[in-house]
Amino acid sequence: MSEPLVVAKDLWKGYGAGPRRVEVLRGFSLTVQEGEMVAVVGPSGVGKTTLLYLLGLLDHPDAGEITLFGQNVGGLGQEERARLRNRFLGFVFQHHLLLGDFNLEENVAMPLLLAGEAKSTALVRARELLAEVGLLHRARHFPDELSGGEQQRGAVARALVARPRLLLADEPTGNLDAENARGLFQLLATLHLRDGLTSVIVTHNEALARNCHRVVRLLPESKV
Amino acid sequence: MQFLLFLVPRYLLGLARRTQVAVVSAISFVSLALGAMALVLTLALLEGFQSTVRRELKGTGPHALLLPAQGKRLPAGPWLDQLTQAHPQLRFCKVERGVAWMSTLGEATPVEVEVVAGLFGVEVDRVRAAMGGVGVGSEVDLLTPVPLLSPLGPTPRQVRVRVERVVEGASKSSPGSLRVPTAVGELLLGGSGREEVQVAVPPPLDPLVVTERLGPLPAGVVLRSFRELNRPLLAALALEKLLIGLGVALIVVVASLNLLCNLTMLAAEKRADAAILQAMGLPPRGIAQLFRTLGLAIGAGAGLAGCAFGWGLAALLHRTQALPLPRGVFALNHVPFAVLPEHLALVMGVTMVAAWAATSSPARAAARRSVLEGLRRE
Repeated sequence: MSEPLVVAKDLWKGYGAGPRRVEVLRGFSLTVQEGEMVAVVGPSGVGKTTLLYLLGLLDHPDAGEITLFGQNVGGLGQEERARLRNRFLGFVFQHHLLLGDFNLEENVAMPLLLAGEAKSTALVRARELLAEVGLLHRARHFPDELSGGEQQRGAVARALVARPRLLLADEPTGNLDAENARGLFQLLATLHLRDGLTSVIVTHNEALARNCHRVVRLLPESKV
Repeated sequence: MQFLLFLVPRYLLGLARRTQVAVVSAISFVSLALGAMALVLTLALLEGFQSTVRRELKGTGPHALLLPAQGKRLPAGPWLDQLTQAHPQLRFCKVERGVAWMSTLGEATPVEVEVVAGLFGVEVDRVRAAMGGVGVGSEVDLLTPVPLLSPLGPTPRQVRVRVERVVEGASKSSPGSLRVPTAVGELLLGGSGREEVQVAVPPPLDPLVVTERLGPLPAGVVLRSFRELNRPLLAALALEKLLIGLGVALIVVVASLNLLCNLTMLAAEKRADAAILQAMGLPPRGIAQLFRTLGLAIGAGAGLAGCAFGWGLAALLHRTQALPLPRGVFALNHVPFAVLPEHLALVMGVTMVAAWAATSSPARAAARRSVLEGLRRE
C-alpha cells in the first residue's frame, strides 16, 4: 500500500484563554490515502472547519503533527506553507468566497496566475474548468451576477484549476437547495474519479456523505 | 509582481462600485493631488522670481574678479594678455579701485572710484547720480585722502570732472560707484589703489560655469568666481526655495494621512479577499505588497495629476500674465512662473515617498491579520 497522502496525528486545537478556553479538537487523528474521498460529519462546533484549516495549512495545531504528501508540515515557514497551498491544495469554502472585483473566469484562473502562469494560458485552463462545471456561458459574469449554485460551482472550478493533489471542501453544499447540492456533489464525485483526486469534505449532509469512500464522525469532546 | 499588476488595477477600478471606500479614496487622491499641485506652483513661482534675479545678476558685470593674493597690486608680466588669448570669448578689464569724496551741490559723499583703462569720460552709477543730484554734463569735485606733497605740505588730491554718462549698475561689486579714465584715476589715487581684473561673460555663456573654469592663473593672483561674488544672494535664494518648499511639502505629508485612512479602510474591506488569496497561496508578504502597491498607485496617480494641473496652471498664469505686479517696484510687471523638469521629478518623489510611508502601516497590518478571521468574516 502506498504512503498515505494525509496523516494527522493527535491534533489538539482550542480557542480563547483561561476559563473561556474551548478545546475544539482533542487528540484527533486521521489518515487519508491517495484517491480517497473522505467526508467529515458532525454537529456544529465540533471542529470540522478547524480540522480543514489545519489540514489546509491555514492554521497551526496547539499540539500534534500533520504530514502532507510525506512531508511533516509542522516546521514550515509561511512562504513554504503558501507555496504548498498553491501547488498541492485546492479549497472550496462554505460561503463561495469568489473575489467580487473579478469575473468568473478570472476568479477561476487566480491560483494559476498566482503561480506565475501567463494570463492567456491561465484563462484558457479556467475556461476548460468552467466548461466542465457547466458555467462557460457565465465566464465573463461577476460573482454578484451569479446564483448561489453557480458561485459554488465556480469555486469548485477554481479549487481544481491548478490540478491540486488534495481538495479540501468546507460545507460545499451548505448554502444550496437539495437539487443544487446533489448536482454539485455529483460533479465533485465525477471530477474526483476522473482526476484521481484526494478529498476531505466537511458536510452536514449525511445523505451526501454516504456517497464518499469513508465517513469520519466528529463528536463533541471526543477523540476520533 | 505580474500577479499584483493584475490585481491592483481591478481593485482600483472596483473602488468606484463601493461608495464609502470610493469617497475616502477620492478624498485621498484629490488631497494628494492638491498637495502636489501646490508644491509645483510654489516651486514654479519661486523659480520664476529667482530666475529673474539670477538673470539680472548675470546681465550685469563683472562676473568674476582677479585680485592680488597679497597687497594691492597685481603681479607684473604678460599673464593677462595670455589669459585674454586663452579665453577669447571673455572680456577682461583691468581696473584700479580707491575711495574718494564726491562733492556736488555743496554736499560731499564718500564714493568708490574705479579707474578703468580705455574709458573716455567719467561714468556715474544711476543710483549715485540720483543721490548726488547729478546728470550728464554735471561737474563734480572729487577728493581723495591720498596726500599730495605741495609747497604747503601734504594736501588732499582734488580733481574736477564732468559726468559723461549715467549708467545702470556701473559696478556690481560696489554699487553706487564712479568710473573714471586712467588719467583722472592717476591724479586721484596716484597709483595707491587696489588693482583688480574684472571679467565679463557675454551671453549665451553661463557665468556660473565659465568663471569656475578660468585659468591658469599666475602665482599671486586669486580668482573670485561668479558664485563667490554672489554667494550670499545665491545662498539666500537656495535657502528660500528649500524652506518654502519644505513648508508646502507638508501639505503632501498631511494629505498622505488621508491615504493611510484610505488604505486602512480598504484593507478592512478586503479582509476576506486577502484571506482567500492567502488560502490560494499568496504569502503574507504578497498581501503587504498588494496593499502597498494599491497605495502607491493612488499616490502615483495623484502625484501625476497634481504635477499636470500645477504645470498647466503655472504655464497659464505665466503666459496670460494674470497676476500683475506694481510698476516701478519690481523689475517685472507680472508674477513669473517657471516649471523645471527637476521640480516635477522632485514633487513626484515627495508624493511617492509620502504615499509609501502612509501605506506601510496598513499594508503590514493586513499581512499580519489572521486568514481564518477573514474567511469566517464572510
